[in-house]
Amino acid sequence: MHGSADDPLIARVAAELRRPVPLRPDFDARVMAAVHRAIPSLPVRAWTWLREPRVVAVSPIGVLAMAAGLAGLLVVGAVSRETGAGSREQEAGRREQGAAASVTFVLVAPQARSVALAGDFNDWDASRVLMRREASGLWTVDVPLTPGRYRYVFVVDGRRFVADPAAPRAAGDDFGTPTSVVTVGGGALRAAGGSL
Amino acid sequence: MVEGGSDGVLVRRVLDGDTEAFGGLLARHRERGLRFATAMLGDAAEAEEAVQDAFVRAYRSLRTCRESERFGAWFLRILVNRCRTRGAMRRRSERVFVYDEAALERAAARPAGDPGWREEIDRALARLDALQREAFLLKHVEGLEYEEMTRLTGARIPALKMRVKRACDHLRVLLQEVDDARIR
Repeated sequence: MHGSADDPLIARVAAELRRPVPLRPDFDARVMAAVHRAIPSLPVRAWTWLREPRVVAVSPIGVLAMAAGLAGLLVVGAVSRETGAGSREQEAGRREQGAAASVTFVLVAPQARSVALAGDFNDWDASRVLMRREASGLWTVDVPLTPGRYRYVFVVDGRRFVADPAAPRAAGDDFGTPTSVVTVGGGALRAAGGSL
Repeated sequence: MVEGGSDGVLVRRVLDGDTEAFGGLLARHRERGLRFATAMLGDAAEAEEAVQDAFVRAYRSLRTCRESERFGAWFLRILVNRCRTRGAMRRRSERVFVYDEAALERAAARPAGDPGWREEIDRALARLDALQREAFLLKHVEGLEYEEMTRLTGARIPALKMRVKRACDHLRVLLQEVDDARIR
């Protein structure tokens, strides 16, 4: 059954190793406590709910009001991005050793309705880092990262997990989905960016 | 016996917000996980940590489990990677001595068997290359087919067969004498 029947010694080794392993009586309780700690907080869940696509019926007047509001948001967005203008590839924050630096993640996905970022830096919770859509289907987000090596993946339309086409793949990914790697050095920053 | 239907049903219940249903998946798959991690890492306390870590990661990533009815295989893949990471960390930190009173007590409470034989096996496993040990455990202890092992480890079938063969060859050299003395 286990392919070791034709070698008595290996079969005896395998049989010994198949014996149940004793575990602490509170093992299940400790695992479930850790699982409960991993549940996203209420604000995160609320934000996830808000981001879920849904059909909304809006009257023509409502459309005009929404357009006016959106224009206002774009103006605010343009002002807030002034410091990053012309430096999409690499945007340094504080560069001293150990300090968080801003890394810009970029994905070209013109057909996507939403793109989020999940990785080691946000407990793989895609609801925490949502990317912004810009012209020509360019999605970007700036993430402050301390020096280190991080695995990440783009989450397109809330269900497709897409590795960064422009970044190295992580070896031995845990979850059966290809993931990418970004390395943030003391002063050297690496930008991420690719297209679907 | 675990209530709650198939793995797929339990996964769906968890995704629908019933966190306690994850306890059903835990009860079903912890024994195999602990068995594999203990043999792989050679340390009961570290194995429990690896299995707990793997379950938490599985919970966080449950939406990426494409075939929920095969949760067990998916979880084992996560655990294999956690054991690899812990093994690499241990090699880096060059830990050479572990004193864990609780682990020693649990070892003493191991179900009927031959403690000396198990110790010899653990010592022999520890002397194997980590990838050979992993392949041996997946093939001969967990009874996986090579196709499944390929999906789980990312290695190709010829490489896996070679690892298993070398592991068996090494174990024979390391254990034959002890085994002969036991069964004589």
